Amino acid sequence: MRYAILLLAAPYSHQASHSALRFARALLARGHTLEGVFFYHEGVHNAARLAAPPQDEPHLVDGWAALGEAHGVPLQVCIAAALRRGLLDEREARRHGKQGASVEAPFELTGLGQLVDLGLRCDRLITFGP
Amino acid sequence: MLLHILNRAPDTPACRQALSALGPADRLLLIEDGVIGALPAQRAAFPGVEGRLYALHEDLEARGLLGRHADGIQVVDVEGFVALTEACERTVSWY
Repeated sequence: MRYAILLLAAPYSHQASHSALRFARALLARGHTLEGVFFYHEGVHNAARLAAPPQDEPHLVDGWAALGEAHGVPLQVCIAAALRRGLLDEREARRHGKQGASVEAPFELTGLGQLVDLGLRCDRLITFGP
Repeated sequence: MLLHILNRAPDTPACRQALSALGPADRLLLIEDGVIGALPAQRAAFPGVEGRLYALHEDLEARGLLGRHADGIQVVDVEGFVALTEACERTVSWY
């Protein structure tokens, strides 16, 4: 089956990011495809390039990036939710006159239409809230 | 048949909303802090959901509650969570 995940909570604030990542790994292990993970609301913080948690804790940002790269899963971050929280890729940083980018590949800033597209294309859309 | 996913303990607005939305054939999966609802003392919190109530193994274990769930609650691991989403046409998350 084709799955998509909607993640609405920031890492380390709630369990949602852990739960969603564990679910993503399990569905891939069962032979399903993950067509995309959409990060929305506070969930955009999962794309924070500069996240540096203690070494004895799971690195959720790296965890999502590794999953995206290993399985070709698009990691789509709502651009409107991201910009207002200071999460900008290089292009947006330039456009807004900011030094340094806080979002990098494999995360990509996209519009809300991508979430609608995932919902229409996929057999299952699973939401993990705060 | 829908799968409702609840990450809040009983007696919270999210739990009350989930119960009010639950159809007669729907299933309810307790995850995260929702697994508190799997304890025997909370049995009265889910009237009419017998046989359709599930709790996530990993979240019970993380809270030291493994093996302490009430009779009639089906404990599933994350693979079982995926299997529930396969069987149910849609899922609704309550948080």
